[in-house]
Amino acid sequence: MTRLYIFLASVFTVLMALPLVLDNYVLGIFVMIYFWAYVGQSWNVLTGYTGHISLGHALYIGIGAYTTTYLAQSFGLTPWVGMFIGGLIASVIGLLLGFLGFRFGIRGVYFVIMTIAFAEITRLIVSHIEAFGSFTGIFLDFDPSFSNFQFRGNVPYYYISFGLMIASLIAVRLIEMSKLGRFMVAIREDEEAAQALGVNTFKYNMIAIAISAFMTSLAGAFYANYIFYLHPNTMFGMATSIELILRPIIGGLGTIFGPVLGSFILTPLSEVSRAYFAKGGLEGLHLVLYGILAIFVVIFMPKGIIIYAQRLLEPIIRTKPGKAKS
Amino acid sequence: MDVTLALQLIVQGILLGGIYGLIALGLSLIFGVMGVINFAHGQLMVMAMYISYWIFVLLGIDPYLSLVVVCAAVFILGYLIQATVVNRILDYPEAMQVLPLVAMGLIIENTVLLLWGPDHRSPQTPFSLETFWIGPVMIDVSRLIAFSLAIVITAVIFVYLKKTNNGKRIRAASDNRTGAILVGINVDRINNTSFGLGAAATGAAGVLLLPLMPLSPHMGHDFTLTAFIVVILGGMGNLIGALVGGLILGVAESTSTLFLPATLKQVVSFTILVIIMLFRPQGLFVGKK
Amino acid sequence: MGKRVVKNQGLDRRTFLKVTGAASVSVMTSTFGVPTLLRAAPSTIKIGSVQPATGPLAVIGVGQRRGNQLAVDYINSKGGIQSLGGAKLELLLGDSESKPEIGRSEADRLIKEGAAVMTGPFQSGVALAISTLCEQRQVPFVMDVAALDKITEKGYKHTFRVFITVKGLLTGAVKYLKMVTDLKGVMPKRAVVTNTADAFGKGMSGGFVKFMEKSGLPIEIVDKVQYPLGIHDLSAEVARIKAAKPDILFPVSRPGDGIILARELYKQRVELMGIYGPGSPGWYEPDVIKDLDKLIYYVMINVPWINPHSTVYQQANAAFLKTHNKYLDTNSAYAYTGVLVIADALERAGSTEPDKVIAALRQTNYKDYPVVGDPIQFDEKGDNTGALTALIQVQPDPDPLKRVKIVAPKEFAQSDEIVFPAPNLWER
Repeated sequence: MTRLYIFLASVFTVLMALPLVLDNYVLGIFVMIYFWAYVGQSWNVLTGYTGHISLGHALYIGIGAYTTTYLAQSFGLTPWVGMFIGGLIASVIGLLLGFLGFRFGIRGVYFVIMTIAFAEITRLIVSHIEAFGSFTGIFLDFDPSFSNFQFRGNVPYYYISFGLMIASLIAVRLIEMSKLGRFMVAIREDEEAAQALGVNTFKYNMIAIAISAFMTSLAGAFYANYIFYLHPNTMFGMATSIELILRPIIGGLGTIFGPVLGSFILTPLSEVSRAYFAKGGLEGLHLVLYGILAIFVVIFMPKGIIIYAQRLLEPIIRTKPGKAKS
Repeated sequence: MDVTLALQLIVQGILLGGIYGLIALGLSLIFGVMGVINFAHGQLMVMAMYISYWIFVLLGIDPYLSLVVVCAAVFILGYLIQATVVNRILDYPEAMQVLPLVAMGLIIENTVLLLWGPDHRSPQTPFSLETFWIGPVMIDVSRLIAFSLAIVITAVIFVYLKKTNNGKRIRAASDNRTGAILVGINVDRINNTSFGLGAAATGAAGVLLLPLMPLSPHMGHDFTLTAFIVVILGGMGNLIGALVGGLILGVAESTSTLFLPATLKQVVSFTILVIIMLFRPQGLFVGKK
Repeated sequence: MGKRVVKNQGLDRRTFLKVTGAASVSVMTSTFGVPTLLRAAPSTIKIGSVQPATGPLAVIGVGQRRGNQLAVDYINSKGGIQSLGGAKLELLLGDSESKPEIGRSEADRLIKEGAAVMTGPFQSGVALAISTLCEQRQVPFVMDVAALDKITEKGYKHTFRVFITVKGLLTGAVKYLKMVTDLKGVMPKRAVVTNTADAFGKGMSGGFVKFMEKSGLPIEIVDKVQYPLGIHDLSAEVARIKAAKPDILFPVSRPGDGIILARELYKQRVELMGIYGPGSPGWYEPDVIKDLDKLIYYVMINVPWINPHSTVYQQANAAFLKTHNKYLDTNSAYAYTGVLVIADALERAGSTEPDKVIAALRQTNYKDYPVVGDPIQFDEKGDNTGALTALIQVQPDPDPLKRVKIVAPKEFAQSDEIVFPAPNLWER
């Protein structure tokens, strides 16, 4: 395993050093890579590991973003604290959703639709609350300072989002190795069997969704102070919910590095395809190609690209035989 | 409360609800047979609308007359989608099934955008502006025609599934896939036909909507969500339930504007959805397919 | 999270990494790292244009792009920027996809690609995002179209606006309404305001209601109906409008709404003296005019509009027709104007350095341009004090493309006649 750690450490060092040589625009792409990797990882906790598919995860991003912003604008509360309050609120909402879902036995397709319903209802309600900007959305004022969580160049944002991504990797690894993680996987594989064996599936389902919601909402706080604009359609909308599941699914569902790999592949691709295909007369082409790619990957690489990446890196990593990396 | 207004809204809700039912019918059929949620459902409807639009603009044929041809075209499209994409993902975990269909929706929507541009198109078909009045209540002729045809088409599909051999095979495959394979039914072909049929149903709904609403590439998404709600209301895989569910949803949405701003219409629909899922997840109507 | 210090293993890898690292650093520095300012006087000057080229506003976005490009081509055909040695303008394209966060990211990309000045983006939400970015990156941002007042109220020194503000739009709306009711000796008593539920719709309709209250006009706004952006069916909303028994309708709409609204008003037999738009798209587009035919007659809109008497307009319109087979509409004309203003500032600045460009922009006094308005001058917030609206009315004419006529202000008018009240929709 030493080789694996050396490899990871090398990658880590390179990534830490990148801001020294890259300009704002390219750094911005990396910020988004780490952002989506982090969000995808947070979603992965619920869907990849516990097996409950959420297609309304944007809900938590929105909660994080709006809470932090509201507290900052109305009470001058620094987003560094505000984001944890947002996280708590997101967990509560997640637990509510979880309670309704898990207690009432809503599973599979029905659970998916319920997550969509929750996100949509929230989107519509927030669109009507003046304090949250209603349909206009909230425009954050640019007032750079550490306590305001706003910065002039992209370098601080780079390190923060990088940090979030690393933290999520550690968190997921810890979960994976713990009892909680084993129960989560057991639930994913066969919930009824797990119950029959005496596992309190309800409790672990609830823990999973609370953690997932909390983690996801921190991303919302970041997003608000990076993009400076919140709108219910983006923050709670289905487009965002779909965007955030793409990377973990393509990268590798239920694996630690799946979301990261997926983000490193998809995010630059999306950026490039938009820049080079959206020139005059071909509006929409980049989205068509994006869709074709997604279908292609899902059909021909169903376990995610991570499997191929693992095979490719086999000589460098050389994990002990029989010890799978996921 | 203005009684005239309330009556008007109820009537409009019922008429639109018939079309919702038809869209949901397609979704329900696809789910019933394949167990797949078709996230591209609304976009298939939009594609049908565009085909019908161009037939109208270029050949002067009224949408109601080109209905069969358009449905056939969308049927083929659905058949192909199932054959090339969906058949391969049937055994995948549900999370992985979501993505290809969502991607499919993205592809259809943006192909439409690429081909025909983003402009709203609002053809004035012969019946677009026709109305007649029952007392103080206005009835949109095209809405009434759409409603009636939606009911007819639903009945036709119902009969097809119950009486014809192919229909019976479809029902067999949806009831018990393994059993169906065992008795020699070509499940792949049945799947293709079912998806095609489901697509054709939603396509028909689209054609019926053409005289009523302007066309744009991005309108599909909302209809997909509406279809979900109706299908849950009526029961997944329950075809008559889809129709009745559509009517209920249509009226609920329409009358909600009496006391809620129009922009909150969907909250009503989604709340109904959640309540049904919690307390009666099999849908309001327990019945056969 | 610490790095494991490894003594003997992986030396080869380390060297490998060092070498590739050094190589990539040098590649990246040369490609990305050189700031524009350090280069010699450029032979092309890049202008970044972010427009909603895809998404629900794509029709407008594409038109804006075309307007920007046409002006760039025109300036280049006249020899480019003389004070910079005949440097040619180059338009870099960005697509906001009608979303602020993407607009911001696209703007960042264009700035990285060397854009000295930014323009666009039609949507106020996107404008706010880009103006914040431009302030961060210190790049001048000359908005061709975006109305929300807030954009210029943030104290950003890099933001300029050629278009009129919402406040300006509303001032014009009330002014013309007073003029029409005075002229015709007819005053509606009850009114309904409708709007799409987006930033512009809400801002405009809310502002309009306030302006009407202060106007002294005895018109009571009895209902306000709001509907989601992109809605396809307004039957319930129109039923509600009818129940409110208005004399006049004030719609704040988006492209596509006008058609649905007009048809539904016709179907439900809503009796109105007229439809008066305080300022929004959806009523004057060529497709709408053709599709609605008689139903759109006599609709009056207070809107920034093209100036058909201007030679600049006539020449630009001819060129636009030739290239795109479409008439130069008001939004594209503003996009055209935006680039003219930028070119003029660059000419006077004799430099692409942001501070010099901004100083030159502040001195702008631009007269010959294709839209209705007074000479373009920017106040301390960056707003154009010369921005004006016109009152247009759709009037009968055998040629659908000639139906939209400016009826006020007098010096731009195309028709002496104003029709108000108008015959009912179903009596035409």
